[in-house]
Amino acid sequence: MSARSSTCIAVALTLLASDAFAASQAKKSDEQRSWTITAERVYTAEGDAIEDGEIVVEGGKIRAVGKGGGGDLKVYAVTPGLVDLSIRIDQGRYSVEQASEVTPHVRAAASLDVFDEAWLRAARSGVTTAMLNVPDRNVIGGLSVVVKTAGEPSAQARVVKADAALYGAIGSAPSSGNRTAAPRPEDFFVRRPTTRMGVEWEWRKSLFDAAAARVEPARAKPGDGELQRALDGQLPLVIQAWASQDIRTAVFLVEEARREGWGNPRLIVDAAAEAWREPQLLVRSKAAVVLPPFAPLGRTGDRAFFALDTAAKLEALGVPVALSGHDAEALEDRLCYQPGYAMRGGLSFASALAAVTLTPARLVGVDQRVGSIKAGKDADLVLWNGEPFQPTSKVVGVLVDGRLIVDPRQAANAPSSSNK
Amino acid sequence: MKHLRSTAQRLVSRGTRRVCVLAAAAALCSGAAHADGKLAIKAGRIVTAPDAPVIEKGVIVIENGRIAAVGKDKDVKIPWDAPVIDAPHATAFPGYVEAHVSRGMDRPNESPEIVIPFLTVRDSIDPVNFFFEDCLRSGITTINVQQGNDCIVAAQGMVVRPIGLTIDDMAVKYPAGVKMSASPRRGASAATQAQSLRRVFSDLRRYLEQLVQDKKDGSDRARREALYQGRDLEGEKSKGRAMEGSAWKVQGLELIPRGEIDEKQEPLLALVEGKLPAFIWCGRPADVHLAIEVARENGFLARTTLVIDPSCWKAADVIAAAKVPVVLQGNVLHLEIDPLTGKEVETFVPKVLHDKKIPFALSSLNSTNQALWFQAALCVGHGLPRAAALAAVTTAPSKILGLDKRVGSLEVGKDGNVLLLSGDPLSVTTWVERVVIEGRDAYDRSKDVRVQHLVAGKQPANTAAMNAEELDPSKVCCDGSDEKAHAKHLEAQKRAADKGEGGKDDEKKGDDKKDEKKPDEKKGDGSHEGHDHGDGAHADGAEGARL
Repeated sequence: MSARSSTCIAVALTLLASDAFAASQAKKSDEQRSWTITAERVYTAEGDAIEDGEIVVEGGKIRAVGKGGGGDLKVYAVTPGLVDLSIRIDQGRYSVEQASEVTPHVRAAASLDVFDEAWLRAARSGVTTAMLNVPDRNVIGGLSVVVKTAGEPSAQARVVKADAALYGAIGSAPSSGNRTAAPRPEDFFVRRPTTRMGVEWEWRKSLFDAAAARVEPARAKPGDGELQRALDGQLPLVIQAWASQDIRTAVFLVEEARREGWGNPRLIVDAAAEAWREPQLLVRSKAAVVLPPFAPLGRTGDRAFFALDTAAKLEALGVPVALSGHDAEALEDRLCYQPGYAMRGGLSFASALAAVTLTPARLVGVDQRVGSIKAGKDADLVLWNGEPFQPTSKVVGVLVDGRLIVDPRQAANAPSSSNK
Repeated sequence: MKHLRSTAQRLVSRGTRRVCVLAAAAALCSGAAHADGKLAIKAGRIVTAPDAPVIEKGVIVIENGRIAAVGKDKDVKIPWDAPVIDAPHATAFPGYVEAHVSRGMDRPNESPEIVIPFLTVRDSIDPVNFFFEDCLRSGITTINVQQGNDCIVAAQGMVVRPIGLTIDDMAVKYPAGVKMSASPRRGASAATQAQSLRRVFSDLRRYLEQLVQDKKDGSDRARREALYQGRDLEGEKSKGRAMEGSAWKVQGLELIPRGEIDEKQEPLLALVEGKLPAFIWCGRPADVHLAIEVARENGFLARTTLVIDPSCWKAADVIAAAKVPVVLQGNVLHLEIDPLTGKEVETFVPKVLHDKKIPFALSSLNSTNQALWFQAALCVGHGLPRAAALAAVTTAPSKILGLDKRVGSLEVGKDGNVLLLSGDPLSVTTWVERVVIEGRDAYDRSKDVRVQHLVAGKQPANTAAMNAEELDPSKVCCDGSDEKAHAKHLEAQKRAADKGEGGKDDEKKGDDKKDEKKPDEKKGDGSHEGHDHGDGAHADGAEGARL
């Protein structure tokens, strides 16, 4: 942090210390949605960084971006609000629809709980837009919803895009713990499938049935409409697959659908930790990936090994890469530090920035509203006390729709002597 | 090195699996050993201590394992016979110090029901455990290995360096202290734990008093037992000594030859006499009181370090008042749900410790990121001065271990533990390129097969996990699993090539092949002619990504 901006913040803190100012500010911040933010670096995700930049926010939207100084909020750097495509808010047993293991018509939007603390935790680490996925206990869980993590009080107002993707899982999650009805038939775990084979079978059967229902409407059953839209590529098909074998399955499913003429699904592989093993598969099937948090020693979910250069390798091959916090609680696993790990693996800063902003926004079709700092877009911004994504930097301010969710003027967020 | 080789040969006969691990270990320490010789390091930048100014173009001379000189290259004369590591682009930094860890051995906890200060991790540490390799990779050069937390009074720990094929090669300081727990061990309640911990010392007192009484009564049971057990009763051991210590004393202990004191009780007596450090685990804030009280009641508070769970930040005032240092184990961030409001409360623990002026060290026993430098970097982001954050992984732990005259900074007379880093110690894109431990060339990233595995997924050759497929991901994508798809893929490739789109793809494949050749090319040059920056494209990529 340069001496100049430290002084600016010191001035801001001094101002804050006066009671009158604090009181008026507290009152104002309830509804204030217009700000002028200045920073030594503004990373817009739309091109080169702006040195000594200024962002004018009005009524919750970005009005102007450019050079300038002397705003209400001064920080070292600003990036667009981060976009996380892999969030699950676990509501225990109420999270999973138990009627069937294939429930494409179940909508995460219908069970949105804005009071869950996980939203604020995500917001504190810079995530302003998140796609809430149904849990991975079902094979095809249902429709994901893209929401803002904070700001608007009602669940409805938080929604950026309802039914933004069809979400399902391959791997051990949809089958683990399931068992046959023999010993205790009333048990929750008496469910199919019980193996990876069974999971794949459910997928193929569902896709086949949905395609067949187009020809024979009599065969139609609930959820076929959603599956048909996913087959047509209108809904992105998001499949969680950690390990190489499961990524293969996801790719082959989609390729089978194309080969058989069922449609042309747009595949996004979620938690694709082992995507580095066979990147050509993803190139070939034109899939995108969402990566889970990096694991310093490689081992991660579903016994997958997650190489550090995965993001760099995929990006070099032209595979769209989004990073995610995947519901991590631990500080180091949160999304704001993931681009740093990706850079350690060889990804450039610009690509790392895109992987948590514009790329995920485009993948689920919300980039006209979020994902970059551009006049007219939502005022979702992350303010940093140092270079973004470095562990030596912290998210000191967060704006969602122009509302100040994390205030950079609070003492706890004051920068230390050197933290670039 | 001769010694290492003979050990290696002995171990080789034990089984092929070991051989593989040894091969990996040998590859890591393939440079010449300079344990008794000289070594000069020329670095672009030298940071000698957390708060020291940077020396541009500096030289460090290490002789007999100790730093003989450090300074600007024009001020330091390099001995004519010293091999030189020339690293003009690297930053030299002191090796990181791990103040307390329970890794590097197979099972870290002996049965939690018994008091076992006579056991030692020395018998449990496995020199070829991957943990020690990972330490080198993340720049940790001094490690205090202690028993796990599930105990009352546990085994004695040991400070080691992460190189060497035998425990003697690794030893830095032994014993390094006794481990205890103020937190309920498995299956115990907090009250039982407190009682058990206190009883250890009241039992010791009763034992010593009985010993004195027996001696006064003319009984020679203790002596006969000592002889029967083959204990040494000569020299120092034949003499009695008045009990030392600041808390309680047993009168008449000078009558007892030290060799007659039961080996099971002796380490406890050393604790009470203030001759042995203690590491006390506190899993909850409430445990901090117990730990401090027991240490104070028995006179070893001044030599106590608390190993704390993140939640213990709540007891920061108690810790500060007792003036004990702490090792923070677990996560740097404490997360808690307020039971009344349901709000999540986050506390960045090192900031609390720093603000309360509690000396603290970070630990690699962290749940998500074991790298000490990463945690130190997080401290800077969360408001600690940079010097304080770096001290928590260098000078603070060295002081906790009583090794502040040996490790933690690069000063004349201290151990030659030097890291050569590719950039700023706390930057996310910085790599540990080379590690020198006491003048020995201990690690070279360009020869580290496992780092290539961690970064690029390349399996080290000749290991059990080796899989021909994994060595060439580009070949395997549709290998046999789906012939139709394979055919289609080939078709698509052909079409793409016709359209001229395949160019980029083919180029990439070419690069991959080049990368794989590189390690082989490098095997030939074991000399110190230059600081090599890389294992091919990845290092270059990281270079490009640096801000």
